[in-house]
Amino acid sequence: MALFGRRNVLLVLLAVALVLPAVANSYQLYIGNLVLIYTLLAIGMNLLLGFAGQLAFANAAMFGIGAYGTGLLQVHFGLPFAIAFPAGALIAAAVGLAISFPALRLSGLYLALSTLAFAQFTQWIFLHWEGVTFGAGGFKTPQISFDPLPVSKPVGLYYLSLLVAVALYIFARNLVASRVGRAFVAVRDGEVAAQSLGVDLLRTKALAFGISGFYAGVAGGLYSQALNYVSPEGYDLFQIVLHKAMIVVGGMGSVAGSLLGAGIIIIVLELLRAVKGAQEIVFGGILLVFVLFLRGGLISVIQRYVKGWDEPLHAAPPRRDEPPPLAVPATPVAERAAP
Amino acid sequence: MMLSYILLSGVTTGALYALVALGIVIVNKATGVINFAQGELFMFSGFLAWALHVQFGIGYPLTLVLAIAGGFLLGVMTDRIAFQPLKNVDVVSLVLATVGIAFILRGVARVIWGGKGDYLTFPPITSPEPIMIGEIMIIPQQLAVLAGAVLIMALFWLFFRYTRAGKMMQATADNAKAATLVGIRTDRIYALAFGTGTAVAAAAAVLAAPLTLLYPDMGFSFFIKGFAAAVLGGLTSLPGAILGGLLVGIAEALAGGYIASSLMEVSGFVVIMLVLVIMPSGLLGARRLRRV
Amino acid sequence: MTAPALRVEGVSVGFGGVRVLEGVDLDVKPGEIRGLIGPNGAGKTTLLNVICGIHRPDAGRVLLDGVPITGKKPSSIAQLGLGRTFQTSQLFRGMTVLENLMAGLYRRTTTNVLAAGLNLRSHREEEERTEEAARKALEFVGMAQFADRPGTALSFGQQRVVEIARTLISEPRVVLLDEPAVGLSLNRLAEFDALLRRIRDEKGVALILIEHVIRLVMDVCDRVTVLSSGRRIAEGVPDEVRNDRQVIEAYLGKELRARHS
Ligand SMILES: Nc1ncnc2c1ncn2[C@@H]1O[C@H](COP(=O)(O)OP(=O)(O)OP(=O)(O)O)[C@@H](O)[C@H]1O
Ligand SMILES: [Mg+2]
Repeated sequence: MALFGRRNVLLVLLAVALVLPAVANSYQLYIGNLVLIYTLLAIGMNLLLGFAGQLAFANAAMFGIGAYGTGLLQVHFGLPFAIAFPAGALIAAAVGLAISFPALRLSGLYLALSTLAFAQFTQWIFLHWEGVTFGAGGFKTPQISFDPLPVSKPVGLYYLSLLVAVALYIFARNLVASRVGRAFVAVRDGEVAAQSLGVDLLRTKALAFGISGFYAGVAGGLYSQALNYVSPEGYDLFQIVLHKAMIVVGGMGSVAGSLLGAGIIIIVLELLRAVKGAQEIVFGGILLVFVLFLRGGLISVIQRYVKGWDEPLHAAPPRRDEPPPLAVPATPVAERAAP
Repeated sequence: MMLSYILLSGVTTGALYALVALGIVIVNKATGVINFAQGELFMFSGFLAWALHVQFGIGYPLTLVLAIAGGFLLGVMTDRIAFQPLKNVDVVSLVLATVGIAFILRGVARVIWGGKGDYLTFPPITSPEPIMIGEIMIIPQQLAVLAGAVLIMALFWLFFRYTRAGKMMQATADNAKAATLVGIRTDRIYALAFGTGTAVAAAAAVLAAPLTLLYPDMGFSFFIKGFAAAVLGGLTSLPGAILGGLLVGIAEALAGGYIASSLMEVSGFVVIMLVLVIMPSGLLGARRLRRV
Repeated sequence: MTAPALRVEGVSVGFGGVRVLEGVDLDVKPGEIRGLIGPNGAGKTTLLNVICGIHRPDAGRVLLDGVPITGKKPSSIAQLGLGRTFQTSQLFRGMTVLENLMAGLYRRTTTNVLAAGLNLRSHREEEERTEEAARKALEFVGMAQFADRPGTALSFGQQRVVEIARTLISEPRVVLLDEPAVGLSLNRLAEFDALLRRIRDEKGVALILIEHVIRLVMDVCDRVTVLSSGRRIAEGVPDEVRNDRQVIEAYLGKELRARHS
């Protein structure tokens, strides 16, 4: 195993993450926590888009549903965080599954647009269902404590995020290297061929939606506590470009790439914290530049130049032989010409 | 609220949605894709018009013409930057690239023209006083917008019907391969489609500005509503887009007037979902039969 | 008489008013190699698409081992034991050759999301078996040395062979091959011929082979069916078909004429 093999690098990163609370100030710890949370988002997005090839924009909505679900279950029903958190994530997963059913009849651009509209709809619910969501002002989440563990709340929360992120990272790694992961990639690379091997399109896509919703929901629950606050703004359309930029920068079809992308994007985001307009320009620009010039993401560079990195190959090589699938049902020319 | 008033404002905003939908359909017909930056191009053109009209004091008609030209250029740039290099790669990259462009435009608009929540007012074209014709209350501004929208639709109809470029676009849309064979340069047609599609959106933005005010986030909701209208109309039909736009506009005005005004924001989503549920295999679900 | 592995009864298909298949019947016995030939546009691929559930016929039905499969989803039909390859290469581009083969075993494996994500023992064992079977299948077609290459790194002809292996690995009852020899060089053809025979002899699978390389068809097929303009115009052992006047007229004749003009 080479010195900079993937496993070694990840283990070093994990060691750094474990000691971070001992050496970092509270701001740095918060950033560390954000990176972990966004890693979860990025992995969820990558499973859906990078592996299963489903171009959907509802991830930000699932993120918000996880946060609102976790927060509101505590506020309205007095549930403890330990129950509200997984419940919020499951709600997000369930909504992910539910929207996948109408959405999955559609492919390509229609799917993208209907999920984009759904993201807008969720925003609207957060804003206008005031009796439940507290409207535009949002609400404060209840304080949680990690008694009897001897840690402060931020440190406890950080370790919780770390634990969840590591567990779900490993889960995703295992998943993509399994029969299920192969079904995802098969659906992405060729629906017809996938079906000819017995892969049920609807079930496989719905599964990808559900899992990706779960990851986003978990991230949302952690995020609600990291901010101590839930409001619609945290889950608005800007999240869309963040999530997409993370996986494009890191590498589509790579779990390690999701981690890399999340880390980079969060750091850039923090550097630009003050100026919203600049954030939009920079992330839009990053997305555009990577799509145009480095479609494999940074992970493809690492794979090429770091000996022994040994990234499993799951990114879709671009198709140069075929034009993009038309959004329009291809009617025979003869039919179209008829008045 | 009076029904006639609601209907008139529905038709007016509907006409604007129709223009946005037309832009989407023009691009989709010629290229088979949807430009996800369409809404932001619309917004950006509106701000350009504001700069010309308010900052540089150019008259409204000339502003309209210049904004349309500016929109055309922005559309051609989108084609050059995103569509041309990616059209043979895959549709995911293409969409992500246009999403990137959308956010760049938003950011630029925000940096130049204001922060979040800042609305720029566009001076009204006509007197803002409502006039009463019998029982019916009419706001001249709306009539002006409506007239402008009809004029622009007519111009585009003439363009497709009578100009060489318009006819070539039709031919390319019907059959790109055959078009190449008869010597039409499809790359130019694609650029033309992006340009024309955005020019229509720019026209819509200049008409909309006095009614809706201008803000960097406005593009998205117009885009979703325009898409809903385009989908209602079948996504490749120009008259369908106009009809769809009017329907979305009227439905939203009715829902806003009789149920709750906040509903107007999600009319696009509701229409898209309704079309999906009612006609899953109709307009939308008609799957492309893949040759294998 | 043995029951047919695959039976097609009076299948008709039209696209937008154009009739593409007109009352086509077909019976394929277990272990038989059936050639399906006909001029371009005769409807051969369309017939395969009807059999595997991509197109729904306007009339007629298809039975797999006596079970009607018309109207079922393509994935369900595949689950019942029908495999196929396509006229164009359909290897999964984001997978290695080995992974493509492993994907071929989808219908024979059962690991669910949780077992896979948690890397349970049952999953690991199944995965090991899958990989072993995949390597064996690659050996069977003589492509073992390419196991870890991306599918896209292979030549077109090699990709087609891998696809056949991917289909065969789950041991389907019937396999439909749509022009598998496209892209094979002439000296590769003999190898391919041998491969098809080995498939029949060792796998006991019924094959339907669409092919424009007539020599290959005549050489390897037990029986040959000829389609022309959506109708079955002839059927029989290769020699019968070769000498059938209608066939020569509709198919070979057309080619000859084309060659001489
Ligand atoms: N999805 C479809 N929609 C409309 N027409 C189709 C479709 N698929 C096939 N056709 C038409 O049906 C006819 C038969 O096509 P098919 O692909 O079955 O022919 P084939 O015998 O496989 O020919 P080839 O040898 O060229 O592969 C052709 O005229 C073709 O244009
Ligand atoms: Mg064919």
